[in-house]
Amino acid sequence: MSRLSALLTAVQQASPTPAPVATATPLPVAVPGSSLFQSSLLLSLLIWTPVLVALVIAVLPNPRGRFDTLMKQIAFFTNIGMLFILWIAYNQFEPFLSTVQYEENVSWLSRIGAVYHLGIDGPGLVMLILSGLVGLVSVLASWGIRERVRSYFCLLLISEACVNGAVVAHDMFVLLLFWGASTVPLALLVLGWGGPHRESGAWRLAGYWGLGTVALLIATLALYSAAGANSFDMDVLFKVPVSPRIQLVAGVALIIAAATRLPLFPFQGWVRDVYSHAPIGVCVVVAGSASRLGAYVLLRVLVGAEPIGAQLLSPLLALLAAATVIYAGLVVLRMRDLRRISAYLSMVPGGVTVLGLAALSPLAIGGSVLSLFSGGLAAALIVGVCATLAERAQTGSLDVLKGLAPRMPSLTWITVFAVLGLLGLPLMASFPAYEMTFFGAVKNQPLAAFAVAGGLAIVAAALVVILHRVLFGTPNPDAPGVSDASSGEKWFLGILAGGLLWVGMFPGGPKLPGTDTPIFDPGLVNSMAAGITEIAAPYAAK
Amino acid sequence: MRSLLLVPEALVAGTAVLLLLGGQLGFLPRSWRGRLPPVVAAVVVVAFIVELWVGGTLSSLFGGGFIQDRFALFAKAAVLLALAAAIAVADWTAEDSTTVGLSMMLLAGFGVMVVASAGDFVPLWAGLELAAAAGVVLVGLRRPDIGLRLVIAGGIATALFVMGFAFVYATAGTADLLTAGQAMANATSTLPLAIPVLLLFAGLAVRAGIAPFHMASVTASLGASPLGSGIMLGLAGAAALIAAIKVAAVLTPVSDTLSLYLEAIAAVAMVGGGAAALGVRAPRARLAYLAVAQAGWVVAGLSTHYLSGLGGSVFLIGAFVLAATCGPVVLAGAEGGEAALAGMGAVRPARALGIAMVFLSLAGAPPLAGFFGEFAVAAALAQGGHFGLLALGLLGSVLSVVAVLGTLRVLYLQSPPEEGRRSVGFALPAWTLTSSAGAIAICIVMVAYGALANPILSLAYQGAEALGLR
Repeated sequence: MSRLSALLTAVQQASPTPAPVATATPLPVAVPGSSLFQSSLLLSLLIWTPVLVALVIAVLPNPRGRFDTLMKQIAFFTNIGMLFILWIAYNQFEPFLSTVQYEENVSWLSRIGAVYHLGIDGPGLVMLILSGLVGLVSVLASWGIRERVRSYFCLLLISEACVNGAVVAHDMFVLLLFWGASTVPLALLVLGWGGPHRESGAWRLAGYWGLGTVALLIATLALYSAAGANSFDMDVLFKVPVSPRIQLVAGVALIIAAATRLPLFPFQGWVRDVYSHAPIGVCVVVAGSASRLGAYVLLRVLVGAEPIGAQLLSPLLALLAAATVIYAGLVVLRMRDLRRISAYLSMVPGGVTVLGLAALSPLAIGGSVLSLFSGGLAAALIVGVCATLAERAQTGSLDVLKGLAPRMPSLTWITVFAVLGLLGLPLMASFPAYEMTFFGAVKNQPLAAFAVAGGLAIVAAALVVILHRVLFGTPNPDAPGVSDASSGEKWFLGILAGGLLWVGMFPGGPKLPGTDTPIFDPGLVNSMAAGITEIAAPYAAK
Repeated sequence: MRSLLLVPEALVAGTAVLLLLGGQLGFLPRSWRGRLPPVVAAVVVVAFIVELWVGGTLSSLFGGGFIQDRFALFAKAAVLLALAAAIAVADWTAEDSTTVGLSMMLLAGFGVMVVASAGDFVPLWAGLELAAAAGVVLVGLRRPDIGLRLVIAGGIATALFVMGFAFVYATAGTADLLTAGQAMANATSTLPLAIPVLLLFAGLAVRAGIAPFHMASVTASLGASPLGSGIMLGLAGAAALIAAIKVAAVLTPVSDTLSLYLEAIAAVAMVGGGAAALGVRAPRARLAYLAVAQAGWVVAGLSTHYLSGLGGSVFLIGAFVLAATCGPVVLAGAEGGEAALAGMGAVRPARALGIAMVFLSLAGAPPLAGFFGEFAVAAALAQGGHFGLLALGLLGSVLSVVAVLGTLRVLYLQSPPEEGRRSVGFALPAWTLTSSAGAIAICIVMVAYGALANPILSLAYQGAEALGLR
């Protein structure tokens, strides 16, 4: 608890005032090896590298699938390369600057006021790291793909580029472009490589996310129109005072956009079919990074730019958060299929993130940002491990799956990790995230905080019953043969679990004993604080 | 430079007449016919380059009947690009006659160029008729019954347009577009003016095949050869939309009289087109309805009566004419329905990518040409406070994108049938170097339209300014 209290104090100190923090706070000690690489195109590299590689894969000759493995390797090493770029970005990031960093600003559609403006602050960096990890994991999880390998990895890389583009966009037009563009490759991945209900999953995904895109477009155009229709650049658009009425309209549209992505109750219609029938690699991308964009946009546009709208709509957000977690818990209680259960469980972290945003206090907003990362990893892990378990056990039915632990030791451990991560237990990254969120929310949204906590208790109870039965119960002699995870599966699940554990154990980064010098990780909590100060400034009094 | 202004028109019309006479009189040897498409495509590319080179010269010829301004430059460049790409990508084994197909395509393009440069109602009308007549000829070659239906629908459209034009002429006292616009500045919105304006736009809507007037042209495009369909959906539609932009600019001072019509037509077209695209499975029919939906967006931009709205519409017309003209042509002989496209991504990758790009662009999916065009119109609608129309347009776009996913699934995710089992209507388009180059060119243009959106949009705005809008 001492680590947690130190963490809370650090966030509270960083949050209340938007004054130049550099004067009030000593500069952090630089990580050895930072400033190795200076490129003004760092963020563009993260967007366009996967697109270019996808084009290369698309035109590579591949007679009768002879080079299928090469395609997979290219996708894998592309993701490794992008993680390396991200690692540089992470280490060179100035955690105590309140402005966006790695900025790129190129004139584009000057007639309507759209610019190719990229840049990230703390929450953006957190999302980029999440997207990088999830990208690598999705390639590993897709290693078993045998059909139309070229098309599969092209689409996977393009979807990753779209997520990165939406994260780093600092212009609403660019954000909308990448947000909308991410729907097509992901829907096609579900449609082309999914299970029996893939058609239903793909249409639902396209329909709900299409609705979300329309809602985001309406919010964008409402703000654009109210701000004088001069610019989509966030630096301009978000600084023009907008009437509370417009903020309310835009806010409702933004909530719909976010609710279709995360998803939040009652916009969860796509989760069951997508997570139950899509390939594991696609599930990981959707649950891990693509769906987190919903909460990210809420944070960036509603909470970060429209404080009056955010305050007016915070009860609605809190209600949606509570309804989502409780609904997920109740559905999990009565579900009899493991993959469907995982689909509803993946909604839980999104509910917690939105609770933090609804609370509108610096501490809760900080918790929300951290839960973007931990929730993404936890959702990807729970969806991935349940899909793997169902695949290895040849069924997802709870009536058949019993007492698997002795025969699947690795998967058992990873499943337990996933459940711990999902519920926010100590040592997991979700623990500080949930704690910060609940501590921050209990004052401003006490009812919703208790309702979400109650929902988590229902989820926990359901999971205990399921885990006990499936993993540690009496084995079912009539069940089909089972096998433990392959090494590839262990790797992709291990990376997700490792990410949760690492940030849970070292939220401020590992340091040389007795010093304040970080070893190679400046600490996610330190880095994410960079933009939160500015975002939380209007709510500092809370 | 002024003397070179008519070179693109002369190249296009001259080549069309030469091909028609050559084909009919037989002085073009049969062995040459295979080489004609790349040669004609090259001629059109030359015309495109000349247009870009000399088209910036502002001038008027024939006593103001022909005007070369930024609007004409933009529209003609887009049409020439679409013509070149369509001729290159066409599968000539699916056409009834190479020479007639090529010449009608060029004549339809010439018709659109005449409309784009028209400074008077008369050449505007003449260009419209020429573009539509070329389509009727190609449709009639394969399906005389549908050709006859088109002639009847065209007659109705012409009657409506001419009646409306006559009333406007009577009100303004001139057929010159610029002078008529100035005269209209002093007119007031009255019922006697609203009726002819309704007739005028109804005639143009029938010509453009916009819902609810789409029955004739959409049906005709389904029964026609790929090139005939490309003319009906793309070139004839573009001619009518370009004419509508010019007429809307003239009537902007009395915008009250036409706002309601335009908004109603746009709403029905955007939502109806998207819903119909979702409801059908045949690729050609889906493409036709997607084109209807995007044409609705063009009309939505006109209903704003602002520079930004008309600029957005002009910008979108560039994307529309490219996709709607090249779409049916790149689809080639897909009369067998969806199954004809099964697995085309594996066996004809360039053509399949071209089809995907055209469909996605017409649906307004990011990051292709159609998305940028529709977004420019959407921004103008938001600027003008037309949020209801905007919401309907967005609904139509979502329906369109969902519909396109079905076609993409067939293209890329279904296995191609064995060659021996392919029957009539399911045959794969013939592979040629020119057709592959054409398909790749379509893809590049669709993507480059977004990447180079700034100069293109600036030109479109200059075009709208040239029509007298501020």
